Amino acid sequence: MNHRKKDKRLRLALYITTLSIFLSAAIITSITIGSLQLSPYAVFESIINPRSDAVTRSIVLGYRIPRVLFASLTGFVLGVSGGVIQTLTRNPLSDPYITGMSSGAALGAAVAFVTPRFPYFAVPAMAFIGGLSMLLLTIFISKKAGAGSMGFILAGIAVGTFASALLMLVISISSEKAHGILYWLFGSFSTSTWRDLQIVLAVSLPALLFMLYNARDLNILLLGEEHAAQLGIDSKRLWLLMLLSSSLAVSSCVSFCGIIGFIGLVAPHMVRLIVGSDNRFVLPLGGFTGALLMVIADDIVRSPINPIAETPIGSVTSMIGVPFFVYLLIKRGKSFGI
Amino acid sequence: MVFNLVVDGINVEFGSSRVLENVEIALRSGEVLAIIGPNGSGKTTLLKCISKAITPKSGEIIVYGRPIGEYSNSEYSKRVSAMLPQWPSGFSMKSYEIVLMGCRNQTKGIWWEGDRELQIVSTALEILNAIDLYDKDFETLSSGEQRKVLLAKSLAQRTGIILLDEPVAYLDMKHKLEVMTVLRALADMGKTILVTLHEIDLALKYCDKVVILSHGRVVAAGKPKQVITSELVSKVYGVEVAVKWDEETDYPLILPKKGQAVKGELSCLI
Repeated sequence: MNHRKKDKRLRLALYITTLSIFLSAAIITSITIGSLQLSPYAVFESIINPRSDAVTRSIVLGYRIPRVLFASLTGFVLGVSGGVIQTLTRNPLSDPYITGMSSGAALGAAVAFVTPRFPYFAVPAMAFIGGLSMLLLTIFISKKAGAGSMGFILAGIAVGTFASALLMLVISISSEKAHGILYWLFGSFSTSTWRDLQIVLAVSLPALLFMLYNARDLNILLLGEEHAAQLGIDSKRLWLLMLLSSSLAVSSCVSFCGIIGFIGLVAPHMVRLIVGSDNRFVLPLGGFTGALLMVIADDIVRSPINPIAETPIGSVTSMIGVPFFVYLLIKRGKSFGI
Repeated sequence: MVFNLVVDGINVEFGSSRVLENVEIALRSGEVLAIIGPNGSGKTTLLKCISKAITPKSGEIIVYGRPIGEYSNSEYSKRVSAMLPQWPSGFSMKSYEIVLMGCRNQTKGIWWEGDRELQIVSTALEILNAIDLYDKDFETLSSGEQRKVLLAKSLAQRTGIILLDEPVAYLDMKHKLEVMTVLRALADMGKTILVTLHEIDLALKYCDKVVILSHGRVVAAGKPKQVITSELVSKVYGVEVAVKWDEETDYPLILPKKGQAVKGELSCLI
């Protein structure tokens, strides 16, 4: 049976290579398009030649590259975290936002928006705090309820609904700033900077590595806490650490770019269609697929053929994601499992 | 006289109902214990207690000289394996992937399965005569085949103590005998095995000890041939039976003496 092990490694390497090529192509395309169309050569030149055209250089290095890298990172984080959360809740319909985190983040951001004299940086900081505190509240309630993954999902819905109600309240009392809040809610990479990228990378990289490292144990966790414990896994601890890692990574992205739906739900399922439910495949490949989808979605947002300048990216990902999701639901029907 | 497993007077309550009452068991290496009793007598609960899935209200369970509460999950998984009921469903996994999960206790922190693990997996399936299930999707197997895969998973854990909840349920006669023969052989090589059974004849034929549970209490314990009598089985199961041993085939027979009458108003359902 020796060949099987090597088969798996080779297969994973092959998939990752293929997706990397697609992702690189999407990233290069993304840098060339926009209100100023550039050739791939001009992009290349502006990167390596410091004496090239200053305007092009500032657009490419100061604006487009950090933006596309931030989009890739966010897509990667959402793809990996989506796979993790679906396994933890043993629910194929889960995504990283099921935890009540997105509503909490939105509430935090809205509060920062309407508070006078809050610095610009307060929006991501408050979003991060709001998201994580709602997540912790969800965990606390579900532990009290003690009903396993279903209890967790229901607690997440309760907390999320409550945070949304508060968000409505904040929006309604701040009519002149409502536009800014709504724009943030739809998500956008238009303001991404190198500094944002550094901060998010510093937070999410350890979390991503932790999740990928534990992919094999996560497979066993799919059997439920009781069976996993019996096979030698400290299942309660792993469950909590995986949830915190995925939420930390997602909320660090969300706090800068707003809420971007459906990538975390769809990317892992696309991968499962091809490779099955082994998380050693689903997590890394889900990450690459998420990144690829996100860059393509952002390309559509910025593309000159798009009649509406800077469409909210959340609406693009949902418009692509929902039909695909419905297709999956109908085609796979009962076998639409994790 | 060293016991691998001692269950010392455990009590379990679910709400206000007593599920297990003062249950005691002591087992050595090389012994197969059958736990028999009617539905709802507490057999599965007993196994769940020993597998650490349920913590008894009082009493103690000692494995290799240490109370089980002192073991971490990781340590305990190297001592005791369990095939518990209610295997979760709804996701696709190959049979060998499930058996492979049994090896988790030997390969903590290793990302890809090694040759040694795959060899254990193949062997576990082979001795159960189930190697042809290796690459099949677990969800598509019959109940009996799924049992065998789950049993192979427990064997792949390579523990000294093995707990099996109805390992022969859903299996046809040939496979029942096959599984019991494997368990007998493993015990003869030093394992300690606990099985819950509905088949009293298998307990008589293959097991060293038997515990008969009724309403959560041990009503009899000891060597199967001494304990399993016509009177006791009739009393515990509420069916008049005769327990006999057929000399020609050297196999026990449990013979119901008369059929059961239907209680209640059957015409309601016609």
